[in-house]
Amino acid sequence: MTGPATGRFPGFDVLDQVGHWDQVTADLITARTRPRQAPEFFTEAEQSAAAALLNQLTGQCDEPLEISLAEMVDARLAAGETDGWRYADMPEDGQAWRDTLGYLDKDAHAQCGSSFAEASRPDQEKLIQAVQDGGADGQWHGLPAARVWSLWTRYACTALYAHPHAWSEIGFPGPAYPRGYKNAGVDRREPFEVADTRPAEDPVQEDA
Amino acid sequence: MPSATSVRARNESAWLLPNDGTRTNHRLRQDMRRFDDTDEIDLVIVGCGAGGSVLAQRLARQGWRVAALDAGPFWDPDADWVSDEAGSHHLYWTEPRVIAGDDPVPMGSNNSGRGVGGSMVHYAGYTPRFHPSDFSTYTDDGVGADWPLGYEDLKPYYQAIEQELPVAGEHWPWGDPHGYPQRPHPVGGNGEIFLRGADKLGITAKVGPVAIVNGRFGNRPHCIYRGFCLQGCKVNAKASPLITHIPDALSHGAEIRANAMVTEVVIDQRTGRALGVKYRRDGREHFQRARMVAVAGYSIETPRLLLNSASRRFPDGLCNEFDLVGRYLMVQGAPQTAGRFDAEVRMYKAPPPEVSSEAFYETDPARDYKRGFAIQTVSPLPITWAEHVAAQGHWGRTLREYMSDYVHWSTLGSLCEFLAQPENRVTLADEKDAHGLPVAQFAYSQCDNDRAQMKQARTVMEDILHAAGADEVITINRYAHLVGGARMAAGPRQGVVDRNCRSFAVPNLYITDGSVLPTQGSANPALTIMAVAARAADHLTGRV
Repeated sequence: MTGPATGRFPGFDVLDQVGHWDQVTADLITARTRPRQAPEFFTEAEQSAAAALLNQLTGQCDEPLEISLAEMVDARLAAGETDGWRYADMPEDGQAWRDTLGYLDKDAHAQCGSSFAEASRPDQEKLIQAVQDGGADGQWHGLPAARVWSLWTRYACTALYAHPHAWSEIGFPGPAYPRGYKNAGVDRREPFEVADTRPAEDPVQEDA
Repeated sequence: MPSATSVRARNESAWLLPNDGTRTNHRLRQDMRRFDDTDEIDLVIVGCGAGGSVLAQRLARQGWRVAALDAGPFWDPDADWVSDEAGSHHLYWTEPRVIAGDDPVPMGSNNSGRGVGGSMVHYAGYTPRFHPSDFSTYTDDGVGADWPLGYEDLKPYYQAIEQELPVAGEHWPWGDPHGYPQRPHPVGGNGEIFLRGADKLGITAKVGPVAIVNGRFGNRPHCIYRGFCLQGCKVNAKASPLITHIPDALSHGAEIRANAMVTEVVIDQRTGRALGVKYRRDGREHFQRARMVAVAGYSIETPRLLLNSASRRFPDGLCNEFDLVGRYLMVQGAPQTAGRFDAEVRMYKAPPPEVSSEAFYETDPARDYKRGFAIQTVSPLPITWAEHVAAQGHWGRTLREYMSDYVHWSTLGSLCEFLAQPENRVTLADEKDAHGLPVAQFAYSQCDNDRAQMKQARTVMEDILHAAGADEVITINRYAHLVGGARMAAGPRQGVVDRNCRSFAVPNLYITDGSVLPTQGSANPALTIMAVAARAADHLTGRV
């Protein structure tokens, strides 16, 4: 693996550009950087498990971006902002979150003698990895493990990459209205974009 | 090419929008004609997407008393839309649906729109025509179905709609070769990579065809290349019926009734004719009387509405005497392959739809599958890109490291012509929605031909990206678009509607959306849906 994700675009902060965004978009994005209300959807135990799970899934244990993903997911579920569709062999999203967080705690108690949130980081990783691996029959507590994994990662990625701190980390400037772009094309940048300092570091290549 | 002036004479929409930097003509909406539920209007349309809006505009121009109902809002791009992925969640139809089968198809942002403008509010903007071969795949190749009309029947409507959107692109060498009303857009990094790789391999690729204005059109400004086409165009540059057909419909006396969820097409049990539609609005049930009903709710909601409109006379659902409603629903296989370059591609700059190739569209006798696929630039924004990366199995710190490489990736997508199959269909689930109506269950399973196409499409995309200089490629399999579910056919034992979109079962009931398409080609369906609806309008006014 290469070095840390952070630091490839030194000095690049999406929020420096907020003055160039339309007001509706600016209000929405800046609200994401402010502290949130207490959880409305998750119980206290679910909230702790969700926070631990989402931080693990998005690498925030190692390199925190100060993004409260559990609060973001909680707000979505409380507002009923699901994707609507569900697999015939899965409960709807809200119930699926409750059920699977409960199963994580159950596994943690059985294998580590604590709740999932209180388990050690390596133990948490092991419990999560077991779901991604799916076991012999692809089932996890009676649910198709691949679809549980898809649910978790879908919500985790949607929340993380909705946040300007995450955009700054990957060099993406975020909203672009009404300004737009004038310098599209390979190796062309706008004055407000910052070049990658480690362009030859290809994580895929090095991992292969 | 006809001038903008001649387009204006038959569709003034672009000139009815404001030219002061705002995007909505509020006065036109305030002054909108409003019918009473008890008025027997000439036509009530269910759904204001690609099909319903064109029909409303055409018939309002002919003096018909038309109301078009939509379950979602009457969008104002200034106030309702944002330059942001997650914040665009409300553009998608996210009412409950159940997906099943061997290869279930996710819905929502993938393929389902909401509100006036329909899925074209969040489509990329590609507007290719179907090829002449798409209309006779059964005769030619023994797969799919033959349409009850041919390419030549649709051609004048393709040309008319291309002028109204309008479409920008290079001269198109595939299918029935043709030009476009507007010049091709300049390309960004992703388009540049595609053109470079295709050129190295001798594969023809062309810029376009996209319904994004290149230059001013009426009061619609030039595209600003901000890359958020899939989040609703705040610029009014990308075409959707909200700005290409609804304004003209309003100015000719059509009513657009937003936030009105139609729950039933009501049938006179004695005559078997449609009387109008029941709908929910403001927490109340209403009944709009009409001389004629057109359903345009797209491939999931149209079959669902017909099935939910069962009555004594139609006990298995409306138009479902031969068990065809909901069947032959198609999605395109849409594998997405990304390539990594040391150079910065920054694919988020410029519209995701830039360049396409239809070089693999037709049946190739040398291959072990029938029909083919198209290749297009897709340019995912960070959330969608994260799904691509996470699908490789990465999570935690690794996910973040791969994501930090975003600016170096170029992404292509294929549209594979998956074949129509009877068991790929919508039925009613046991689950009910907030109105107490059964929700749709959509079962989907691929066949061998589908899988073989998708494999070859992936190979070609990998080859193009490697030829362009990519040192690594990664692919995810996904789906795109919906068509079918209430297909047109020569007779009632083969389909639900005839070549003019009139249902076989109910003489004053029409279906004017993507669900009537018997095959899908490898083309994005919006233009064809509009063309079919425009032709149905000409039939209704006695012109064809």
